[in-house]
Amino acid sequence: MNTLGELERSVLEHLWAVGTPVTATRLREELADRGLALTTVHTVLTRLEQKGFVGSDESRPRQFQAVGTREEHVADLMHEVLGQAGDRQAALARFVGSVGDDEVRMLRELLAAADDARPAGA
Amino acid sequence: MLPATALALGVLAALLAWPVPAALSRARWPGRDPLAALVCWQAIGLAGGLSIIGALLVHGLAPWGHSLPEAWWHWITRQPALEPVRGDHWVAQTLAAVLALELLGVLLLSGVRTARTRTRHRALLELVVRPGSSARVEDETLLLDHPAPVAFCIPGARPLLVLSSGMVAELDGAQLDAVVAHERAHLREHHHLLLLPFVAWRAALPVLPAADRAHDAVRDLVEMRADDVALTSLTGPEPRRTLAAAIVAAAGGSGGLVPEGALAVAGGSVAVRVRRLLAPPEPLPAAVRWTALVCAVALLLVPTVLLLVPAFA
Repeated sequence: MNTLGELERSVLEHLWAVGTPVTATRLREELADRGLALTTVHTVLTRLEQKGFVGSDESRPRQFQAVGTREEHVADLMHEVLGQAGDRQAALARFVGSVGDDEVRMLRELLAAADDARPAGA
Repeated sequence: MLPATALALGVLAALLAWPVPAALSRARWPGRDPLAALVCWQAIGLAGGLSIIGALLVHGLAPWGHSLPEAWWHWITRQPALEPVRGDHWVAQTLAAVLALELLGVLLLSGVRTARTRTRHRALLELVVRPGSSARVEDETLLLDHPAPVAFCIPGARPLLVLSSGMVAELDGAQLDAVVAHERAHLREHHHLLLLPFVAWRAALPVLPAADRAHDAVRDLVEMRADDVALTSLTGPEPRRTLAAAIVAAAGGSGGLVPEGALAVAGGSVAVRVRRLLAPPEPLPAAVRWTALVCAVALLLVPTVLLLVPAFA
């Protein structure tokens, strides 16, 4: 049940929820219902740190904290998705590309004109 | 014989570098049969690269033999040239090597870079998306908390389909199905692979306007093709109208977020998609479709034959 991806998500969810730096031991206690070994907690934290979602300080024992809120990460991604940066866009296939205001008005008129052209009651 | 081969390949390369892509991107028929047009674009790209590199190689290696395979073998095995080697032969050889390395290198680099971006996006999505927050959306689809109506897919071994909460709020059920069907068509037909060489070569050959043109044409055709495939799986009463309305709604919601300027190009193609859905063009007659496909195959065969068939009769 506890796949690494799932653990990463629940650890990150927890760090987002508490909002203050926590030690790995403390984290293990707080996630006691998952029955994790301390090494597993460390593995998950290291992976999250490599991905840039978690940061730690120099204190002893080290304390871990989420980097950026969920909303900030979503906003970053959407910025890339909505942006025009050429290479980045190649990474995903977007349903509709970016369109200017005039174009949107024109598209709505196209749609309305097609509806008008249909026989009434159809 | 060899100079004639080099000349023929050079002429073919010149045609494929400018007039042919220009004509195809202006033509009307691709909108009636996006799939056949996509095959033609792939052939143009491949044959273009093959003929320009081939022309340079044939000229550069001409002193070593009477046909490319023979000359290549003599050159590789360091046998003395049959005829005096001039400076332009060395220049042609060098250019052939540089061009081949650049085209393949940029393709590889572009592929690696996109793959890395996809991995990053996938990791991010899997961490930030709240599990179980999907209402009517199916399992493999992730729902991203964001007001802009956006849908996209991330191709790869583990493809992801992402809808924003703004999209779900803005569209009705049938329209959402249409969006999902469109994105699934991209994934099923591996459209990202059709687009990849054109993304790469646009980066490799910024001086060639045809590279830009070809990229934009292929990007638009892939969207039309995905629309066509989506229509076949939609069950509602008016699938064309539903998909067109979904496109207009999605375009309308994100318009304000985007800087003006680079938009005219992308916007034009959205209007083409919507018009095509609302007033479908006649499908291409079978004879024309087959002519296009035969032309595409011939386009690939001509440089191959010129390069490999020994140039003496």
